[in-house]
Amino acid sequence: MLHTRVGTLELLSPLLTGSGTFGHDGAATRFVAAGDLGALVLKTVTPRPRPGNPPPRLVETPSGLLNSIGLENRGLAAFLRDTVPKLETLALPVIANAGGESVADFERMAEAFDAVACFAAIELNLSCPNVKGGLSFSASAAAVEEVVGACRRRTRKPLWAKLSPNVTRIQPLAQAAEAAGADALTVCNTLLGLVIDWRSRKPVLGAGFGGLSGPAVRPVAVRLVAEAQQAVKIPIVGSGGAQCADDVLQFLVAGASAVQVGTVNFRRPDAVSRIAGDMRALLAAEQTTVAALVGSLQMSRKPPPLPTTATAG
Amino acid sequence: MEVELAEALGRVAPGQFAMLSPGDGSGPLIPRPFSVYDQPAADRLTFLVQVIGPGTQALAAIPVGGSVLCTVPLGNGFVVAPAEREVVFVAGGVGSAPFLLYGRERLRRGGKTTLFFGARSAERLYDREAFEKERLPTVYATDDGSLGFRGNVVACVADALRAGRVGRDALFAACGPEGLLHAFARFAREEGLDGELSLETYMGCGYGVCNACPVATEAEGPLGGWPYAKSCLDGPVFALRSIAF
Repeated sequence: MLHTRVGTLELLSPLLTGSGTFGHDGAATRFVAAGDLGALVLKTVTPRPRPGNPPPRLVETPSGLLNSIGLENRGLAAFLRDTVPKLETLALPVIANAGGESVADFERMAEAFDAVACFAAIELNLSCPNVKGGLSFSASAAAVEEVVGACRRRTRKPLWAKLSPNVTRIQPLAQAAEAAGADALTVCNTLLGLVIDWRSRKPVLGAGFGGLSGPAVRPVAVRLVAEAQQAVKIPIVGSGGAQCADDVLQFLVAGASAVQVGTVNFRRPDAVSRIAGDMRALLAAEQTTVAALVGSLQMSRKPPPLPTTATAG
Repeated sequence: MEVELAEALGRVAPGQFAMLSPGDGSGPLIPRPFSVYDQPAADRLTFLVQVIGPGTQALAAIPVGGSVLCTVPLGNGFVVAPAEREVVFVAGGVGSAPFLLYGRERLRRGGKTTLFFGARSAERLYDREAFEKERLPTVYATDDGSLGFRGNVVACVADALRAGRVGRDALFAACGPEGLLHAFARFAREEGLDGELSLETYMGCGYGVCNACPVATEAEGPLGGWPYAKSCLDGPVFALRSIAF
Protein backbone atom coordinates (compact mmCIF):
# COMPACT_ATOMS: atom_id res chain seq x y z
CA MET A 1 0.00 0.00 0.00
CA LEU A 2 2.87 2.37 0.82
CA HIS A 3 5.06 1.09 -2.01
CA THR A 4 6.41 3.76 -4.33
CA ARG A 5 9.02 4.33 -7.01
CA VAL A 6 11.38 7.22 -7.51
CA GLY A 7 12.60 6.57 -11.04
CA THR A 8 14.27 3.16 -10.97
CA LEU A 9 14.39 3.10 -7.19
CA GLU A 10 11.72 0.90 -5.60
CA LEU A 11 10.84 1.91 -2.05
CA LEU A 12 8.70 0.09 0.52
CA SER A 13 7.44 3.42 1.80
CA PRO A 14 7.33 6.97 0.44
CA LEU A 15 8.62 8.28 3.75
CA LEU A 16 12.24 9.36 3.75
CA THR A 17 14.21 11.37 6.26
CA GLY A 18 15.17 14.89 5.30
CA SER A 19 18.90 15.44 5.07
CA GLY A 20 20.39 16.64 8.33
CA THR A 21 17.46 15.53 10.46
CA PHE A 22 18.30 11.90 11.20
CA GLY A 23 22.06 11.82 11.51
CA HIS A 24 25.02 10.61 9.48
CA ASP A 25 25.44 7.03 10.58
CA GLY A 26 22.03 5.35 10.64
CA ALA A 27 22.00 4.93 14.44
CA ALA A 28 18.60 6.68 14.66
CA THR A 29 16.92 4.10 12.40
CA ARG A 30 16.58 1.89 15.50
CA PHE A 31 13.61 4.07 16.44
CA VAL A 32 11.58 3.21 13.31
CA ALA A 33 10.04 -0.10 12.31
CA ALA A 34 11.14 -1.93 9.15
CA GLY A 35 9.07 -0.98 6.13
CA ASP A 36 8.03 2.40 7.51
CA LEU A 37 11.10 4.31 6.37
CA GLY A 38 11.54 4.01 2.60
CA ALA A 39 15.11 5.27 2.64
CA LEU A 40 17.48 7.05 4.96
CA VAL A 41 18.73 10.32 3.50
CA LEU A 42 21.98 11.24 5.21
CA LYS A 43 23.19 14.54 6.52
CA THR A 44 25.30 16.48 4.02
CA VAL A 45 28.93 15.45 3.68
CA THR A 46 31.45 17.88 2.21
CA PRO A 47 34.92 17.17 0.79
CA ARG A 48 36.69 18.90 3.67
CA PRO A 49 35.78 18.90 7.38
CA ARG A 50 33.46 21.73 8.45
CA PRO A 51 33.23 22.67 12.14
CA GLY A 52 29.76 24.14 11.68
CA ASN A 53 28.49 27.51 12.80
CA PRO A 54 28.88 29.07 16.23
CA PRO A 55 25.89 28.57 18.56
CA PRO A 56 23.06 29.30 18.91
CA ARG A 57 22.22 27.19 15.90
CA LEU A 58 18.49 26.86 16.38
CA VAL A 59 15.63 29.12 17.33
CA GLU A 60 11.91 28.38 17.40
CA THR A 61 9.55 30.54 15.38
CA PRO A 62 5.75 30.33 15.16
CA SER A 63 5.17 26.80 13.81
CA GLY A 64 8.75 26.49 12.66
CA LEU A 65 12.44 26.27 13.40
CA LEU A 66 15.15 28.51 12.06
CA ASN A 67 18.52 26.75 11.93
CA SER A 68 22.05 27.53 10.93
CA ILE A 69 23.97 24.36 11.71
CA GLY A 70 26.46 25.17 8.98
CA LEU A 71 26.90 21.65 7.55
CA GLU A 72 28.97 20.43 10.49
CA ASN A 73 30.70 17.25 9.35
CA ARG A 74 34.10 15.62 9.54
CA GLY A 75 34.70 15.59 5.81
CA LEU A 76 34.67 12.94 3.10
CA ALA A 77 37.73 10.94 4.17
CA ALA A 78 36.52 10.49 7.76
CA PHE A 79 33.00 9.73 6.51
CA LEU A 80 34.20 6.96 4.19
CA ARG A 81 36.48 5.51 6.86
CA ASP A 82 34.31 5.75 10.00
CA THR A 83 30.68 6.05 8.94
CA VAL A 84 30.18 4.08 5.74
CA PRO A 85 30.97 0.72 7.45
CA LYS A 86 28.03 1.41 9.83
CA LEU A 87 25.74 2.30 6.94
CA GLU A 88 26.62 -0.94 5.14
CA THR A 89 24.96 -2.91 7.94
CA LEU A 90 21.57 -1.18 7.56
CA ALA A 91 18.70 -3.12 6.04
CA LEU A 92 17.18 -0.23 4.12
CA PRO A 93 18.20 1.97 1.15
CA VAL A 94 20.62 4.74 2.02
CA ILE A 95 20.78 7.96 0.04
CA ALA A 96 23.94 9.98 0.45
CA ASN A 97 23.83 13.77 0.40
CA ALA A 98 26.70 15.75 -1.08
CA GLY A 99 27.61 19.36 -0.43
CA GLY A 100 30.39 21.55 -1.67
CA GLU A 101 31.54 25.03 -2.51
CA SER A 102 32.56 24.45 -6.12
CA VAL A 103 31.72 22.28 -9.11
CA ALA A 104 34.96 20.40 -8.50
CA ASP A 105 33.83 19.69 -4.90
CA PHE A 106 30.57 18.18 -6.12
CA GLU A 107 32.35 16.11 -8.77
CA ARG A 108 34.67 14.71 -6.13
CA MET A 109 31.73 13.84 -3.89
CA ALA A 110 29.79 12.18 -6.72
CA GLU A 111 32.78 10.10 -7.68
CA ALA A 112 33.45 9.02 -4.10
CA PHE A 113 29.79 8.19 -3.39
CA ASP A 114 29.49 6.29 -6.66
CA ALA A 115 32.03 3.82 -5.29
CA VAL A 116 30.00 3.10 -2.13
CA ALA A 117 27.91 0.03 -2.87
CA CYS A 118 25.25 0.63 -0.22
CA PHE A 119 24.20 4.03 -1.57
CA ALA A 120 20.98 3.70 -3.52
CA ALA A 121 21.13 7.28 -4.80
CA ILE A 122 23.03 10.52 -4.38
CA GLU A 123 21.26 13.74 -3.43
CA LEU A 124 23.04 16.98 -4.28
CA ASN A 125 22.59 19.74 -1.72
CA LEU A 126 22.53 22.62 -4.17
CA SER A 127 20.54 24.76 -1.86
CA CYS A 128 21.74 24.84 1.70
CA PRO A 129 21.59 28.55 2.42
CA ASN A 130 24.18 28.51 5.17
CA VAL A 131 27.34 28.06 3.18
CA LYS A 132 29.11 30.61 1.08
CA GLY A 133 28.49 29.52 -2.50
CA GLY A 134 25.59 27.22 -1.59
CA LEU A 135 22.92 29.65 -2.62
CA SER A 136 24.54 30.48 -5.93
CA PHE A 137 24.16 26.94 -7.28
CA SER A 138 20.46 26.75 -6.62
CA ALA A 139 19.72 30.34 -7.57
CA SER A 140 20.88 30.08 -11.17
CA ALA A 141 19.69 27.63 -13.81
CA ALA A 142 23.10 27.71 -15.49
CA ALA A 143 24.85 26.81 -12.23
CA VAL A 144 22.39 23.99 -11.52
CA GLU A 145 22.94 22.62 -15.00
CA GLU A 146 26.71 22.83 -14.65
CA VAL A 147 26.98 21.10 -11.29
CA VAL A 148 24.38 18.40 -12.02
CA GLY A 149 25.96 17.76 -15.41
CA ALA A 150 29.42 17.44 -13.87
CA CYS A 151 28.15 14.96 -11.27
CA ARG A 152 26.22 13.03 -13.93
CA ARG A 153 29.50 12.28 -15.68
CA ARG A 154 30.92 10.88 -12.42
CA THR A 155 28.19 8.47 -11.36
CA ARG A 156 25.67 5.99 -12.71
CA LYS A 157 23.72 5.98 -9.47
CA PRO A 158 20.41 7.85 -9.39
CA LEU A 159 21.18 11.54 -8.93
CA TRP A 160 18.72 13.75 -7.06
CA ALA A 161 19.02 17.53 -7.22
CA LYS A 162 17.76 19.23 -4.07
CA LEU A 163 16.43 22.65 -5.00
CA SER A 164 16.03 25.81 -2.99
CA PRO A 165 12.72 27.58 -2.41
CA ASN A 166 14.53 30.91 -2.28
CA VAL A 167 13.91 31.70 -5.95
CA THR A 168 11.31 33.64 -7.89
CA ARG A 169 10.39 30.68 -10.11
CA ILE A 170 11.41 27.08 -9.55
CA GLN A 171 10.51 25.76 -13.02
CA PRO A 172 13.68 26.93 -14.84
CA LEU A 173 15.82 25.35 -12.11
CA ALA A 174 13.85 22.11 -12.22
CA GLN A 175 14.23 22.01 -16.00
CA ALA A 176 17.95 22.77 -15.79
CA ALA A 177 18.50 19.87 -13.41
CA GLU A 178 16.47 17.55 -15.62
CA ALA A 179 18.34 18.64 -18.76
CA ALA A 180 21.65 17.98 -17.05
CA GLY A 181 20.67 14.42 -16.25
CA ALA A 182 19.15 14.46 -12.76
CA ASP A 183 17.01 11.40 -12.06
CA ALA A 184 14.82 13.18 -9.53
CA LEU A 185 14.33 16.52 -7.81
CA THR A 186 14.01 17.12 -4.11
CA VAL A 187 11.69 20.07 -3.58
CA CYS A 188 12.66 21.87 -1.44
CA ASN A 189 15.28 22.97 1.12
CA THR A 190 14.70 25.48 3.94
CA LEU A 191 13.47 29.03 3.45
CA LEU A 192 16.04 31.68 4.26
CA GLY A 193 15.05 33.66 7.34
CA LEU A 194 16.21 35.96 10.10
CA VAL A 195 15.25 36.27 13.76
CA ILE A 196 16.52 39.35 15.59
CA ASP A 197 17.07 40.12 19.23
CA TRP A 198 16.09 43.76 18.80
CA ARG A 199 17.49 44.86 22.15
CA SER A 200 21.01 43.80 21.22
CA ARG A 201 20.39 44.66 17.53
CA LYS A 202 21.85 41.27 16.68
CA PRO A 203 20.57 38.10 15.02
CA VAL A 204 19.59 35.39 17.49
CA LEU A 205 21.47 32.73 15.53
CA GLY A 206 25.24 32.68 15.79
CA ALA A 207 25.62 32.71 12.02
CA GLY A 208 23.03 35.44 11.39
CA PHE A 209 20.59 34.10 8.80
CA GLY A 210 19.13 30.63 9.02
CA GLY A 211 16.93 28.17 7.16
CA LEU A 212 13.27 27.93 8.16
CA SER A 213 11.71 24.47 8.42
CA GLY A 214 8.68 22.91 10.06
CA PRO A 215 4.94 23.23 9.48
CA ALA A 216 5.21 26.95 8.71
CA VAL A 217 6.88 26.19 5.36
CA ARG A 218 4.71 23.23 4.30
CA PRO A 219 2.22 25.11 2.09
CA VAL A 220 5.12 26.76 0.26
CA ALA A 221 6.84 23.42 -0.31
CA VAL A 222 3.62 21.73 -1.50
CA ARG A 223 3.05 24.58 -3.95
CA LEU A 224 6.62 24.30 -5.26
CA VAL A 225 6.17 20.54 -5.78
CA ALA A 226 3.01 21.19 -7.76
CA GLU A 227 4.80 23.80 -9.88
CA ALA A 228 7.93 21.72 -10.43
CA GLN A 229 6.02 18.62 -11.47
CA GLN A 230 4.32 20.57 -14.26
CA ALA A 231 7.73 21.56 -15.60
CA VAL A 232 9.57 18.22 -15.67
CA LYS A 233 9.05 14.52 -16.40
CA ILE A 234 11.45 13.20 -13.75
CA PRO A 235 10.02 12.25 -10.35
CA ILE A 236 9.87 14.67 -7.46
CA VAL A 237 10.63 14.06 -3.81
CA GLY A 238 8.71 16.46 -1.59
CA SER A 239 10.31 18.08 1.42
CA GLY A 240 9.22 20.86 3.72
CA GLY A 241 7.34 20.78 6.99
CA ALA A 242 5.49 17.47 6.69
CA GLN A 243 4.54 16.50 10.25
CA CYS A 244 1.75 13.97 9.89
CA ALA A 245 0.11 11.57 7.45
CA ASP A 246 -2.24 14.24 6.10
CA ASP A 247 0.72 16.46 5.23
CA VAL A 248 2.53 13.63 3.44
CA LEU A 249 -0.59 12.77 1.43
CA GLN A 250 -0.84 16.39 0.31
CA PHE A 251 2.70 16.22 -1.06
CA LEU A 252 1.85 13.01 -2.94
CA VAL A 253 -1.22 14.54 -4.53
CA ALA A 254 0.82 17.61 -5.48
CA GLY A 255 3.14 15.35 -7.45
CA ALA A 256 5.75 13.96 -5.09
CA SER A 257 6.62 10.27 -5.46
CA ALA A 258 8.18 10.26 -2.00
CA VAL A 259 8.26 12.70 0.89
CA GLN A 260 11.07 13.61 3.23
CA VAL A 261 10.17 14.33 6.83
CA GLY A 262 12.63 16.37 8.81
CA THR A 263 11.83 18.70 11.65
CA VAL A 264 9.23 16.33 13.10
CA ASN A 265 12.04 13.84 13.77
CA PHE A 266 13.38 16.29 16.34
CA ARG A 267 10.08 16.15 18.16
CA ARG A 268 10.11 12.39 18.40
CA PRO A 269 12.55 9.83 16.99
CA ASP A 270 9.74 7.43 16.02
CA ALA A 271 7.85 10.06 14.00
CA VAL A 272 8.28 8.18 10.70
CA SER A 273 6.69 5.04 12.09
CA ARG A 274 3.76 6.95 13.52
CA ILE A 275 3.16 8.70 10.21
CA ALA A 276 3.43 5.40 8.30
CA GLY A 277 0.84 3.80 10.57
CA ASP A 278 -1.56 6.70 10.15
CA MET A 279 -1.04 6.67 6.37
CA ARG A 280 -1.94 2.98 6.13
CA ALA A 281 -5.15 3.66 8.02
CA LEU A 282 -6.05 6.69 5.90
CA LEU A 283 -5.27 4.95 2.59
CA ALA A 284 -7.26 1.88 3.63
CA ALA A 285 -10.23 4.02 4.61
CA GLU A 286 -10.04 5.82 1.26
CA GLN A 287 -9.40 2.53 -0.59
CA THR A 288 -6.42 3.95 -2.41
CA THR A 289 -2.65 3.62 -2.55
CA VAL A 290 0.40 5.86 -2.60
CA ALA A 291 0.99 5.09 -6.28
CA ALA A 292 -2.58 6.12 -7.17
CA LEU A 293 -2.30 9.41 -5.33
CA VAL A 294 0.97 10.65 -6.79
CA GLY A 295 0.32 13.67 -9.00
CA SER A 296 -3.46 13.36 -8.79
CA LEU A 297 -3.99 17.05 -8.06
CA GLN A 298 -6.97 18.59 -9.83
CA MET A 299 -5.93 22.17 -9.76
CA SER A 300 -8.28 24.46 -11.55
CA ARG A 301 -11.42 25.64 -9.96
CA LYS A 302 -12.88 28.24 -12.28
CA PRO A 303 -14.21 31.37 -10.61
CA PRO A 304 -17.95 32.02 -10.98
CA PRO A 305 -18.90 34.33 -13.83
CA LEU A 306 -19.25 37.97 -12.89
CA PRO A 307 -22.82 39.29 -12.81
CA THR A 308 -23.68 41.04 -16.07
CA THR A 309 -24.10 44.38 -14.32
CA ALA A 310 -20.46 44.26 -13.27
CA THR A 311 -19.17 43.42 -16.73
CA ALA A 312 -21.34 46.02 -18.47
CA GLY A 313 -19.45 49.08 -17.17
CA MET B 1 6.16 16.45 37.64
CA GLU B 2 5.68 12.67 37.68
CA VAL B 3 5.44 10.67 34.45
CA GLU B 4 4.20 7.11 34.10
CA LEU B 5 5.93 5.46 31.15
CA ALA B 6 4.26 3.15 28.65
CA GLU B 7 6.99 0.59 29.29
CA ALA B 8 9.37 -0.12 32.13
CA LEU B 9 12.85 1.28 31.93
CA GLY B 10 16.17 0.03 33.28
CA ARG B 11 17.81 2.07 36.00
CA VAL B 12 18.37 5.64 34.78
CA ALA B 13 21.87 6.97 35.49
CA PRO B 14 22.09 10.23 37.44
CA GLY B 15 22.35 13.12 35.01
CA GLN B 16 20.59 11.36 32.16
CA PHE B 17 17.71 13.35 30.75
CA ALA B 18 14.37 13.15 28.96
CA MET B 19 12.85 15.30 26.24
CA LEU B 20 9.39 16.33 27.41
CA SER B 21 6.43 17.96 25.68
CA PRO B 22 2.64 17.74 25.94
CA GLY B 23 1.35 14.52 24.41
CA ASP B 24 -1.50 16.29 22.64
CA GLY B 25 0.93 18.29 20.47
CA SER B 26 0.15 21.58 22.18
CA GLY B 27 3.01 23.84 23.14
CA PRO B 28 6.16 24.57 21.14
CA LEU B 29 7.30 22.53 18.16
CA ILE B 30 10.23 20.90 19.92
CA PRO B 31 10.34 19.30 23.36
CA ARG B 32 12.56 20.50 26.21
CA PRO B 33 15.29 18.55 28.02
CA PHE B 34 15.03 17.78 31.75
CA SER B 35 17.32 15.78 34.02
CA VAL B 36 15.62 12.79 35.55
CA TYR B 37 15.08 13.71 39.20
CA ASP B 38 13.94 10.40 40.60
CA GLN B 39 12.77 6.99 39.48
CA PRO B 40 10.26 5.80 42.07
CA ALA B 41 9.51 2.70 39.98
CA ALA B 42 10.81 1.12 36.76
CA ASP B 43 8.00 2.83 34.84
CA ARG B 44 7.85 6.09 36.78
CA LEU B 45 10.07 9.13 36.55
CA THR B 46 9.92 12.49 38.24
CA PHE B 47 11.27 15.80 36.99
CA LEU B 48 11.81 19.26 38.44
CA VAL B 49 10.14 21.69 36.06
CA GLN B 50 10.68 25.37 36.70
CA VAL B 51 8.21 27.34 34.61
CA ILE B 52 10.21 29.86 32.57
CA GLY B 53 9.09 30.02 28.93
CA PRO B 54 6.52 28.55 26.53
CA GLY B 55 7.96 25.02 26.74
CA THR B 56 7.71 24.76 30.50
CA GLN B 57 4.39 26.65 30.54
CA ALA B 58 2.94 24.03 28.20
CA LEU B 59 4.18 21.24 30.48
CA ALA B 60 2.76 22.97 33.54
CA ALA B 61 -0.63 23.20 31.81
CA ILE B 62 -0.95 19.41 31.39
CA PRO B 63 -3.67 18.23 33.76
CA VAL B 64 -3.00 15.39 36.18
CA GLY B 65 -3.61 12.20 34.18
CA GLY B 66 -2.89 13.98 30.90
CA SER B 67 -0.48 12.64 28.33
CA VAL B 68 3.18 13.54 27.96
CA LEU B 69 5.59 12.81 25.14
CA CYS B 70 8.69 11.55 26.93
CA THR B 71 11.83 10.34 25.14
CA VAL B 72 14.12 8.78 27.72
CA PRO B 73 16.84 7.91 28.76
CA LEU B 74 19.13 10.28 26.88
CA GLY B 75 22.68 11.48 27.40
CA ASN B 76 25.68 10.06 29.22
CA GLY B 77 24.89 10.93 32.84
CA PHE B 78 27.38 11.00 35.68
CA VAL B 79 29.70 8.07 36.25
CA VAL B 80 29.22 7.39 39.96
CA ALA B 81 32.59 7.88 41.61
CA PRO B 82 34.07 4.99 43.62
CA ALA B 83 33.80 5.07 47.43
CA GLU B 84 37.47 6.03 47.88
CA ARG B 85 36.81 9.33 46.13
CA GLU B 86 35.23 12.25 47.93
CA VAL B 87 32.46 13.83 45.89
CA VAL B 88 31.10 17.37 46.16
CA PHE B 89 27.83 18.29 44.47
CA VAL B 90 27.39 21.93 43.49
CA ALA B 91 23.73 22.68 42.68
CA GLY B 92 21.94 25.90 41.86
CA GLY B 93 18.12 25.98 41.95
CA VAL B 94 16.59 23.13 39.94
CA GLY B 95 20.17 22.16 39.10
CA SER B 96 19.79 19.88 42.10
CA ALA B 97 17.88 17.46 39.84
CA PRO B 98 20.65 14.95 38.99
CA PHE B 99 21.96 14.85 42.55
CA LEU B 100 19.08 13.00 44.17
CA LEU B 101 19.84 9.82 42.19
CA TYR B 102 23.58 10.44 42.37
CA GLY B 103 23.49 11.14 46.10
CA ARG B 104 21.43 8.05 46.84
CA GLU B 105 23.87 5.90 44.84
CA ARG B 106 26.80 7.40 46.72
CA LEU B 107 25.14 6.74 50.07
CA ARG B 108 24.62 3.14 49.02
CA ARG B 109 28.23 2.66 47.89
CA GLY B 110 29.85 4.77 50.60
CA GLY B 111 32.38 7.58 50.39
CA LYS B 112 32.28 11.15 51.65
CA THR B 113 29.63 13.11 49.75
CA THR B 114 28.42 16.65 50.33
CA LEU B 115 25.73 18.59 48.51
CA PHE B 116 26.17 22.34 48.27
CA PHE B 117 22.72 23.56 47.40
CA GLY B 118 22.27 27.21 46.49
CA ALA B 119 19.39 29.46 45.47
CA ARG B 120 18.25 33.06 45.79
CA SER B 121 16.28 32.30 48.93
CA ALA B 122 15.25 29.40 51.14
CA GLU B 123 11.92 28.84 49.38
CA ARG B 124 13.77 28.43 46.08
CA LEU B 125 15.74 25.48 47.42
CA TYR B 126 13.20 23.27 45.70
CA ASP B 127 12.21 20.07 47.41
CA ARG B 128 15.17 20.20 49.79
CA GLU B 129 13.28 17.86 52.11
CA ALA B 130 13.95 15.05 49.61
CA PHE B 131 17.70 15.38 50.19
CA GLU B 132 17.19 15.67 53.94
CA LYS B 133 15.11 12.50 53.87
CA GLU B 134 18.01 10.68 52.22
CA ARG B 135 20.28 12.05 54.97
CA LEU B 136 22.65 13.38 52.35
CA PRO B 137 25.07 15.82 54.04
CA THR B 138 23.94 19.19 52.68
CA VAL B 139 25.19 22.76 52.97
CA TYR B 140 22.71 25.46 51.94
CA ALA B 141 23.62 28.79 50.43
CA THR B 142 21.12 31.56 49.80
CA ASP B 143 21.76 34.97 48.26
CA ASP B 144 19.53 36.64 50.86
CA GLY B 145 20.87 34.60 53.76
CA SER B 146 17.43 33.16 54.56
CA LEU B 147 19.01 29.72 55.04
CA GLY B 148 22.62 28.64 55.53
CA PHE B 149 25.55 30.47 53.98
CA ARG B 150 24.79 34.00 52.79
CA GLY B 151 26.03 34.27 49.23
CA ASN B 152 26.16 32.16 46.13
CA VAL B 153 26.93 28.48 46.14
CA VAL B 154 30.37 28.86 44.54
CA ALA B 155 31.46 31.23 47.31
CA CYS B 156 30.05 28.70 49.78
CA VAL B 157 32.14 25.90 48.26
CA ALA B 158 35.22 28.16 48.30
CA ASP B 159 34.60 28.83 51.98
CA ALA B 160 34.33 25.11 52.77
CA LEU B 161 37.47 24.41 50.77
CA ARG B 162 39.45 27.03 52.70
CA ALA B 163 38.18 25.67 55.99
CA GLY B 164 39.13 22.13 54.97
CA ARG B 165 35.56 20.82 55.22
CA VAL B 166 35.92 19.44 51.72
CA GLY B 167 39.13 18.13 50.20
CA ARG B 168 40.97 19.70 47.29
CA ASP B 169 41.26 16.28 45.66
CA ALA B 170 37.49 15.68 45.73
CA LEU B 171 35.51 15.32 42.50
CA PHE B 172 33.27 18.38 42.07
CA ALA B 173 30.06 17.83 40.10
CA ALA B 174 28.07 20.94 39.21
CA CYS B 175 24.63 21.54 37.73
CA GLY B 176 22.57 24.70 37.52
CA PRO B 177 21.96 27.87 35.54
CA GLU B 178 24.58 28.89 33.01
CA GLY B 179 25.86 31.82 35.09
CA LEU B 180 26.51 29.52 38.03
CA LEU B 181 28.26 26.96 35.84
CA HIS B 182 30.52 29.63 34.35
CA ALA B 183 31.36 30.94 37.82
CA PHE B 184 32.03 27.43 39.07
CA ALA B 185 34.16 26.50 36.03
CA ARG B 186 36.29 29.62 36.51
CA PHE B 187 36.71 28.91 40.20
CA ALA B 188 37.52 25.23 39.70
CA ARG B 189 40.13 26.03 37.03
CA GLU B 190 41.76 28.69 39.23
CA GLU B 191 41.91 26.28 42.14
CA GLY B 192 42.99 23.33 40.01
CA LEU B 193 39.98 21.22 41.05
CA ASP B 194 38.78 18.14 39.20
CA GLY B 195 35.27 18.94 38.08
CA GLU B 196 32.33 17.81 36.00
CA LEU B 197 29.54 19.99 34.66
CA SER B 198 26.03 18.98 33.64
CA LEU B 199 25.20 21.57 30.99
CA GLU B 200 21.83 23.11 30.23
CA THR B 201 22.40 23.43 26.48
CA TYR B 202 19.52 24.36 24.19
CA MET B 203 18.69 21.21 22.21
CA GLY B 204 16.66 20.45 19.10
CA CYS B 205 16.28 16.68 19.31
CA GLY B 206 18.12 15.29 22.35
CA TYR B 207 19.27 12.14 20.53
CA GLY B 208 22.11 13.28 18.32
CA VAL B 209 20.61 14.05 14.93
CA CYS B 210 20.11 17.82 14.76
CA ASN B 211 23.61 19.11 15.63
CA ALA B 212 22.06 22.12 17.34
CA CYS B 213 23.58 21.67 20.81
CA PRO B 214 27.29 22.20 20.18
CA VAL B 215 29.64 22.59 23.12
CA ALA B 216 33.11 23.94 22.29
CA THR B 217 35.76 21.37 23.16
CA GLU B 218 39.17 21.95 24.74
CA ALA B 219 41.75 21.31 22.02
CA GLU B 220 44.09 19.50 24.44
CA GLY B 221 41.32 17.55 26.18
CA PRO B 222 39.80 14.09 25.56
CA LEU B 223 37.21 15.50 23.11
CA GLY B 224 39.76 17.72 21.37
CA GLY B 225 39.60 15.82 18.06
CA TRP B 226 36.70 18.02 16.93
CA PRO B 227 35.87 21.67 17.74
CA TYR B 228 32.39 20.85 19.03
CA ALA B 229 30.88 18.08 21.11
CA LYS B 230 27.16 17.29 21.13
CA SER B 231 25.66 18.11 24.48
CA CYS B 232 22.97 15.45 24.01
CA LEU B 233 25.23 12.50 23.13
CA ASP B 234 28.69 13.39 24.47
CA GLY B 235 27.05 15.12 27.45
CA PRO B 236 25.17 16.65 29.10
CA VAL B 237 27.87 15.76 31.67
CA PHE B 238 31.34 16.93 30.66
CA ALA B 239 34.66 16.81 32.47
CA LEU B 240 35.84 20.38 32.96
CA ARG B 241 39.11 19.59 31.17
CA SER B 242 37.29 18.40 28.03
CA ILE B 243 35.31 21.55 27.21
CA ALA B 244 36.10 25.21 26.61
CA PHE B 245 33.27 26.45 28.77
